[in-house]
Amino acid sequence: MLLQQLLNGLVIGCVYALTAMGATLIYGILRILDIANAAAYVIGAYIGWYIFDLTHNIVLAFVVSMLLTGLLGVVIHRTIYAPILSKPRLMPIIPLVAAVGLFTLTSDIVRLIAGGGTKAYNLKFDTDVYHLGGLTITPQWILILVLTCMLFLVLWFILNKTKMGLAWRATAEDAEIAQAMGINTKSAMALSYIIGYGFAAAAGIMVGVLYNSITPALGDVPSYKMLAVIVLGGLGNPVGTVLAGILVGLAETLISVYLPIGLPKDSIAFIALIIILLVKPDGLITRKNKA
Amino acid sequence: MKKLLSLALSMSMLFALVSCGGTPANSNPGGAGADVSSSAGSGAPSSGGEPIKIGFFAPITSAAASADGESTKNSVELAIKILNDAGGIDGRKVELVWYDDGLDTSQAVSIAEKLTTKDGVCAVVSGSYSGPTRVAAPIFQAAGIPMMSAYAVHPDVVNAGDYVFSQSFPGKVQATAAAYFAVNELKAKNIAIIAVDLDFGTEQASAFKAYAEANGATIISEDFVAMADNEFSSIVTKVKSLNPDLIYLPNYYGHAAEVLKQCKVQGVECAILGCEGADSWQFFETAGEYAEGFYITTNLDRDSQDPAVQEYIQLYSETYSKMPDMTGASAYDAMQILFEAIKTAGTDPAAIRDAITGMTNIDTVTGTLYRYTAAGSAVKPVQIQVVKDGAFHHYGVIEDESIIVPEN
Repeated sequence: MLLQQLLNGLVIGCVYALTAMGATLIYGILRILDIANAAAYVIGAYIGWYIFDLTHNIVLAFVVSMLLTGLLGVVIHRTIYAPILSKPRLMPIIPLVAAVGLFTLTSDIVRLIAGGGTKAYNLKFDTDVYHLGGLTITPQWILILVLTCMLFLVLWFILNKTKMGLAWRATAEDAEIAQAMGINTKSAMALSYIIGYGFAAAAGIMVGVLYNSITPALGDVPSYKMLAVIVLGGLGNPVGTVLAGILVGLAETLISVYLPIGLPKDSIAFIALIIILLVKPDGLITRKNKA
Repeated sequence: MKKLLSLALSMSMLFALVSCGGTPANSNPGGAGADVSSSAGSGAPSSGGEPIKIGFFAPITSAAASADGESTKNSVELAIKILNDAGGIDGRKVELVWYDDGLDTSQAVSIAEKLTTKDGVCAVVSGSYSGPTRVAAPIFQAAGIPMMSAYAVHPDVVNAGDYVFSQSFPGKVQATAAAYFAVNELKAKNIAIIAVDLDFGTEQASAFKAYAEANGATIISEDFVAMADNEFSSIVTKVKSLNPDLIYLPNYYGHAAEVLKQCKVQGVECAILGCEGADSWQFFETAGEYAEGFYITTNLDRDSQDPAVQEYIQLYSETYSKMPDMTGASAYDAMQILFEAIKTAGTDPAAIRDAITGMTNIDTVTGTLYRYTAAGSAVKPVQIQVVKDGAFHHYGVIEDESIIVPEN
């Protein structure tokens, strides 16, 4: 049973990591907590649903939804965050308030367009479940694990092996100096939004497929839980975010099953956060020795 | 230009923030097709052709509950349309004054204030959950205007006083009936409970546990899962290792569907018994073929031979292109009871209350309502439905008075 529970936790952890990645990339470069990533998660899940409903092609649903949501991220950055951030001496809370407003607005717009009820992906596989020794593995889990690995590999490649990635890292280190050195920080910011919102969209679709249901309230829990993951991961650190996501997924699963302490599962992420911040105030991985 | 645009967007976001607790209440005096624009309200009975105003609130814009809100609003509008098309009550049309509470308790308070002070309604139906309904109930009680809760089952609702009634049986009755069915009919000995972590789930779980343990069954595990959490694989893995005869699910359709799927995937083959929370057309959207053989306790018997039930199901599905559910049927019935009371007693709120208190054996879409208890809870049979071929069907009914009569 322990191995099965570890697998359960790993799958959830992958989804958390993917959801929080967008907020991490954006924090890394703009130093703002973009709660509206949870809105991208909802929008992505709905765009994916409409495309899958029309075409019955899940790959197309992922690709189109990630692209459209990523582009929406760029538009939101250009029209909302960039003008707000261009004001010097603006209270840092303003972008956060804007993000919360944007998230609330989006959930309501989605509800008005798509209706308040549940929509089901009904993605069918040849078999409901695979048995591997004593383990049960669903095709949905395999899809999530493989896709998460692929997306993180692509992200690693972009950040570490391309000029765009170098520009992103330089901008994350110090935007003003990077700009002075002739780096196009605007495109680095756009990259953050395309990848960040795109990843959130992918996470939204995965959750829709995993639980076979999406509602306009889909983003409510991720909107705060991703905060625990990104802070735990060392604020703005992509590798730390992956570790933190998986850690939170495993901790939630194992603690709720083996240590019935009567606390709601959602609180476990934040308890883990408090404990780790007490021991290691910079999060799991500090910015300086990031990959 | 950029400045202007960012200003406008910031303003719109601020507006969204301010209104995120629930959109401002909007009254819709024309909602039921009434042709009279205003009324002095709860005056003397039969005062000419003025419309009879009935208040209504439900979570129309709450992202989490708007499907139930919509279902109840559709149903009360249908009830009023049928009544008005047939001539109304003593020649007077009924007019609905409806509000959206956004599943927000503070919103529900201000709605109750408006309905009691300015709208001139003679009675009110709550199509909302326990949270908003229980804070609104004392306001209607203080104002002396009868309120009929369609399906909010928290005991505080009816305990607010003699002007507050519930059209549905309390959660405790439903859960005791579920335990009666599990222990006596399904012969379950080892039972696992997976409940939603809200009043709705915890109250039913404890009533179920009390009856089941007193009658020889053992509760081998209890898990309480937050409403927004959809992750059940780890709980089902644990429950499977405990080898239960039955899993009891006092939760809503999303959770029920996910537990059923995980049980199928992980090879758990025991009986699974849910409650009225799963009684929704949306349940089948997500549960699909995993739903076969699932039992629920509820108040709507879709196979009922009663023509009124079939008429409601047919009219609802024709008008709104979806199947009605338990919340809608309950709101429809709450309206029917108010109509009956107004027909016999007129529009004086105190007289309406007395008429409801004295009602016996009323046939409603959700079964025969035997009577109201002193506290205002409905005494009515609990239906057991089972999923066959992708739809809920009649399995049995629990009418034993020792089970279905609420304590208060």
